[in-house]
Amino acid sequence: MLTSTAMTLTRRSFLVGSSLAALAAPRLISARGLLTDPTLDDLVKRALAAATKAGASYADVRVVRRRGESVAAREDRIERVSSSEQYGIGVRVIAERAWGFSATPIVTASEAERIARAAVDVARANARLLKRPVELAPVPANVDVWQTPLLKDPFKIPLEDKAELLLACTREAMKVPGVKFATAGFNGQSEWKLFASTDGGYIEQELCRLGPRLQVTAVDDRRGEFESVASTVAPRQAGWEYVENVKLDAGARALAELAIEKLKAPSVTAGKRDLILDPTNMWLTIHESIGHPTELDRALGYEANFAGTSFATPDKRGKLQLAAPILTFYADKITPGGLATCGYDDDGVATGRWNLVEHGVFVGYQTTRDQAGWIGETASRGTSYADSYASIPFQRMPNVSMRPGPHERSLDDLIAGTDDAILIIGDGSWSIDHQRLNFQFGGQQFWEIKHGKRARMVKDVAYQANTIEFWNSCDEIGGTSSWWMGGSLFDGKGEPEQINAVSHGCPPARFRRVNILDTNRRTA
Amino acid sequence: MISEGRARSLLERVLALVEATKGAEGLVSLRASRAGNTRFAQNEVTTSGEVDRLTLDVAVQLGQRRASASTNQLDDRAIDDAVSRALRMAHLAPESPETMPPLGKQSYPRVKPAADPDTVKLSAAARARAVAAAIAAGDAASVAIAGFYEHSYDLVVRGSTAGLWASHESTHCELSCTARTSDGTGSGWAGVASNRAGDLDAAALARTAVDKAVRSQKPQRLDPGRYTVILEPAAVASLLAFLIGSLDARRADEHRSFFGKPGTNIGDKLFPETITLRSDPGDAAAGGAPFDDDGLALAATRWIDRGTLAALTYSRYWAKHQDKPPTGEPGGWTLDGGPTSRDELIKGVKRGVLITRFWYLRSLDPQTILATGLTRDGTFLIESGEIRGPVNNFRFNESPIHMLANCDGLGAQSIPGGGEGAGARSPILRSHEFNLASVSEAV
Repeated sequence: MLTSTAMTLTRRSFLVGSSLAALAAPRLISARGLLTDPTLDDLVKRALAAATKAGASYADVRVVRRRGESVAAREDRIERVSSSEQYGIGVRVIAERAWGFSATPIVTASEAERIARAAVDVARANARLLKRPVELAPVPANVDVWQTPLLKDPFKIPLEDKAELLLACTREAMKVPGVKFATAGFNGQSEWKLFASTDGGYIEQELCRLGPRLQVTAVDDRRGEFESVASTVAPRQAGWEYVENVKLDAGARALAELAIEKLKAPSVTAGKRDLILDPTNMWLTIHESIGHPTELDRALGYEANFAGTSFATPDKRGKLQLAAPILTFYADKITPGGLATCGYDDDGVATGRWNLVEHGVFVGYQTTRDQAGWIGETASRGTSYADSYASIPFQRMPNVSMRPGPHERSLDDLIAGTDDAILIIGDGSWSIDHQRLNFQFGGQQFWEIKHGKRARMVKDVAYQANTIEFWNSCDEIGGTSSWWMGGSLFDGKGEPEQINAVSHGCPPARFRRVNILDTNRRTA
Repeated sequence: MISEGRARSLLERVLALVEATKGAEGLVSLRASRAGNTRFAQNEVTTSGEVDRLTLDVAVQLGQRRASASTNQLDDRAIDDAVSRALRMAHLAPESPETMPPLGKQSYPRVKPAADPDTVKLSAAARARAVAAAIAAGDAASVAIAGFYEHSYDLVVRGSTAGLWASHESTHCELSCTARTSDGTGSGWAGVASNRAGDLDAAALARTAVDKAVRSQKPQRLDPGRYTVILEPAAVASLLAFLIGSLDARRADEHRSFFGKPGTNIGDKLFPETITLRSDPGDAAAGGAPFDDDGLALAATRWIDRGTLAALTYSRYWAKHQDKPPTGEPGGWTLDGGPTSRDELIKGVKRGVLITRFWYLRSLDPQTILATGLTRDGTFLIESGEIRGPVNNFRFNESPIHMLANCDGLGAQSIPGGGEGAGARSPILRSHEFNLASVSEAV
C-alpha cells in the first residue's frame, strides 16, 4: 500500500521547507546540482502506484544514471578514449510475499508503470516456490540528498589534461633503459540515483569514483623473460584533485627502476617465513578473507552456486577466534573517500559503522532489510546495492577495514623489529576457496628483511595460508599514521554478476611462519 | 524490443551525423537484449527479474585520432549528444599510430540461425517450472540446492562510414545447480550452457549435482602432490581459458608471452596428436558469431592442430604491422574430445583424482601460463581404476600447457555454464603430474 507522507513530500516541496528539510539543510546546500527533474516525481509516483494496484505489498523504484570515462595510454601514445552513459528505471516489488523485478532503459511514466506491473507478474510466477516469505526490517521514511564531497568534477576536466598526465607517466617510465612497455589509465565513474519506496524513502544521491593506474614492464630479450610492476595508487571516491595529489607521474621513474630491479632479482626461497604486509597489499587480503566471509547471504547458503559459502556461520558468532586479539575489523559506508561510502543504501537505509571482528572474535555480519531478521536483528546494516538500473539490489560489501594499533608504529618500525622476513608491497595475483579458508596472494614488490633492514629484492612470491591460522599469526600492527586505504572498483558477486566498488583500510602488519611459495614454474 | 530494420535506419542516421563533420569516419553499433533470470537457494526462489538493455556505441576517428562514446537512450537529443561527445573527444585525443580505419563491406560466413525461437519466448513462468524441477530433486534427497537460470535474446547491428553492414541475432541460456548436504560435508555441481533452452534439462542437471553432493559427503584426507587427474569439462574449460587468452601474436612478438620463444612458435609441436583447439563462428551454442566488435569477418580456425601450434590471433593493427592477415577476436571455442568414455578414462588410472570443477582461477606467471585456483563441488580419489570415495579439495598451481601436454585420454564434450571461464566446448580429459599444491578445507 502506498503509505507515505514522503510520496506527497516531493523533492520540490521538500526543498521549500518541511521540518525534515530544516534538519537536512546543510547537506542540501553542499549538494551541488542535484535537482531532480520534476517529471521524475510523477514517474516515481505512478510506478509505485501501479505496483501497489497490481498487488504489491512493497515496491521501490530506482532511476539511475551512470556515466563512465576511460582513457588509456601505452608508451608514447593514447590507446583508447571512451565515454559511456546508461540511464533507466528498475522497479522491485514484493507480491504474494516473493520478490519480483523489472527494468527498462525507456524513462517515461507509462514505461515505469508497465515494468511495475511486470515485476509483480515475476513475483507471482515465483511465489509458489517460496518456503520462507520475504520480510523487511523496518526503516524510517528517509528523505534526503547525499553527494561525494569533491572540489573538481573529473567529468569537467579537459581530456587533454588527462591524456597529458598519463603520457607524462608512460614517457617518464620509458626513459629507464630496459623498460619496454608502460601503460597508464584513468577511469572515472559517476552514479546518480533517485530512490523512492512505498515505505516512504525518497533519496537522491550522486557518487563520483575514480581510479588512476600505471604499470611498467621490463624485458630481458636475451633470456626471454619479463617482469612488471604496478603503482600502488588506490581508486577512491573523490574529485580530480585526488589524481593531482597522488602525483602518479612523479613516481613513474622510480616504478620503472623497480621493474628493472625485479627482472634481475632472484626467485624467493620457498618455505615457512615471517611476513610483513604493507597496507597496499593487505587491503586485498582483508577484502577476501574478512569482507566476503561476513556477508550474511553467503554464510547462509544464498551464494552457494556462485561465490560459495563461508566458514563464518551464525553458530560461530561471538565464539570464533578468527584473528589475534590485537585485531579488530569494522565495516562502514561512511569513511570519507571510501568507494562504498554513501548516505543511504539501495534499500533506503541510512549508512553507519559496526564491528565484524572485535579483538579477534567474529561478532558481526553485513545485512540488508530482507536479511536482518534471519539472525534476529531488528534493523538492517544498510549494505544493499545494485550496480545499475537493470540490476536487482542485494547484499554487497561495505568498506571493511582493520583498526590501527594503539601504539604509533610505522612500517619501518615493524621492519626494524624483525630479524628475517619477506615484505610485500602492492597487490598481485589473488585467489581464495569457496568457503574463504585457503588463500594464496601475490604482490608487486617483494623484499627480504634481514636483521631489521630491507635487504635485496626477490620475485615469484606468493603467500598461501588458512584464513583463521593466518590472522591468528599476526603479532604486530602499525599505528594510526601508518593506516592507508586501498580498494577496488570491480568486486563481483551474485548471479547475474554485479560489480561493486569497495575500500579497505589498514596499517602494516607482521605475521609469523607463513607458507611462502616460489611461483616460478621453472625453478619451483 | 527494437527490430533489426529500425536499428539499421537509426544507425544510418548516426552515420550521417558522423559524416557531417569533415574528415570524420566511424563505426557505429546498436546492441539490444531482452533477458530473464531466476535465482534459487535453500530450495526456494530468491530473486528473479526481466530486463531490457540497449547500447548505442559510436566510435569516430579524425585521421589517427579516435574516441568512442556510448549511450542507452535513443531519442534525438541523446544520439546527438553521443555523436558530439565522441567527436569532441576524438578532436582532443592525441594521434595514435595504432588507429585503423573503419572496415568497409565484408563478406561474412554463412552460419545457421543462432537465435532459437523457443528461447526468445521464454517467460518467468517457464523459468519457474524448470527451477521447480531442480528444487524437487533437492527436496527428494533432503539436500540444499541453489542455482541460477538465465536466458537472453540479443541483437547486434553494426555499420561504418566505409560501407560495412553487419547484423546478428542470437540467444543464450544457461543453468547451473549446486547441492549441499545438511551436514555440510558434501557438495556437488552441474552446469550447462547453450543457445537453445531445449538443451537444458533442469531435472537431470539437478540430479547430477545432488548425486555428487551425496557421494562427496565426509571426504577423506588426501595429501597435496602431483597426481593423475580426470578433469571434467567445467574444470578443463576454466583452465583452458588462460591458454586461449595467451594466443595473442603481439604479446608473443613482444616477448611477453609463453609463445614466441624457441620451441613455442607456430609450427612447433607442443602437445599430443589428440589435441586440437579451434574456433567456429557457426557454433552458436558455444557463443560463435560471424563477426567481431570491429565487424571483421571471422573464419573457422584451428589454433592448435593435432598437437601443433597452428595460429595466433592478430588484431587489425598488429596484422598490418607484421604484414599478416588479421584474425579478429574469435568466439565459439572448442577443444576436441575423444572416443574414451568417462568410465574408461577412470579405469586407466592407478591412483589419481577426479575433479568436477575449479574456482577462483588467477594467473600466477604469464611466461608459463601458470595459474592457481581450487577444486570444488565433487573431488574424488581414484585407485586401481575405480572411484574410491570423496577427498578434500585442493589448491592447484598449474598451467594449461602442462594439462594438455600430459593429456593421454579425451572423452565426450559439453559446454559448461555458470562457472568461471565457461563457454568453450570442452571434453572430459585425463592428464598426469597435475600439481595439487595445498589442501583446501572448504566444502
